[in-house]
Amino acid sequence: MIYKNLLAATALVMTLFVFSGCAPKMMTKAEAFPKMYEEHPKSLLILPPMNESTDAEAKDYYMTTIEMPFALMGYYTFPVEMVSDIMKQEGAYDTELIYNTPLNKFHDYFGADAVLFTRIKKWDVSYAVLASNLTVSIEASIVSTTTSEELWKYTGTVVVDLSGGGDSGGGLAGLVLKAVITAVNTAAADYVKYARVANARLITTLPLGPYHENYLQDQGVQILPQNQGN
Amino acid sequence: MKISKTTVLTIPALAILLLSGCANQPKPLYDYENYSDSYYNYKKNMSEESALEYQKSIEMAIENAKESRSGRVAPGMYANLGYIYLKSGKTKEAIDNFTKEKTIYPESAHFMDLMIKKVKIAQGDKK
Repeated sequence: MIYKNLLAATALVMTLFVFSGCAPKMMTKAEAFPKMYEEHPKSLLILPPMNESTDAEAKDYYMTTIEMPFALMGYYTFPVEMVSDIMKQEGAYDTELIYNTPLNKFHDYFGADAVLFTRIKKWDVSYAVLASNLTVSIEASIVSTTTSEELWKYTGTVVVDLSGGGDSGGGLAGLVLKAVITAVNTAAADYVKYARVANARLITTLPLGPYHENYLQDQGVQILPQNQGN
Repeated sequence: MKISKTTVLTIPALAILLLSGCANQPKPLYDYENYSDSYYNYKKNMSEESALEYQKSIEMAIENAKESRSGRVAPGMYANLGYIYLKSGKTKEAIDNFTKEKTIYPESAHFMDLMIKKVKIAQGDKK
């Protein structure tokens, strides 16, 4: 009997716990990104990614993953390869230098409604004795070329446990085995594969574009807001 | 035991229903074929072979565009192809593809016109 009461009490506490502070506060797309619905950008100029990671190749590799998810959300995406070559020729391949400057020139030159900035925040493997994690973290933002105001911003992060997750047995032999597995997995680590997953995570918060059949019908979709500056 | 005619007819009908059920999953808005993979591979190992694979994936995406939900060629595909032609000196094909891009996507017209103009000026210089 006492046991039964205890069980009931625990269930109640658990329920309260779930419904109270722990549940993340959701927001609608319209509440989170009102400017997207005011300005209605149709075309996105994808600029060369900004690379904050230690991997110099991340910039070129990540660049190959951006067009598809944003086009599939209904936006016209300018051809990335062409645009990046032009930026190179113009001596403007370092997008870091363009960020926070007026963007009207991109409207004048390309006819783009908005610029899509991407920032590779993490693209690495952290080594530890027992586990190694691969992390890819991408921050994407859309900035208007007419007002230079930020219309949308979201970060997608993927952390993969390269040691395979499971315990490979105790003792020194187990440790050695685990280290070997990790080394093998790291060698084969395909960042681009996980960058696509990061893209898939951040893209869900983006209001749909004009080429999508549900354009301007997704204002009420619930998303998880992110704190600025994290 | 006699298998009734209805049973005989029902089985294939069910099979068709099951198969079509799978096909009913929403198709993607555009058909990209293996564009993303081949583009990544091209950036990773710049070679004649990877460049050719990259070009082929774009051509396939254009060819199979009708299979997609929109029935349209994905944004930037004709421009990408035009740019490949431009780099190999095939200016006529380049202009043709830039024109196709802006016909499908008016958002690109400003940029494509600029490219076409540049190509024509470069052609004029050669003559």
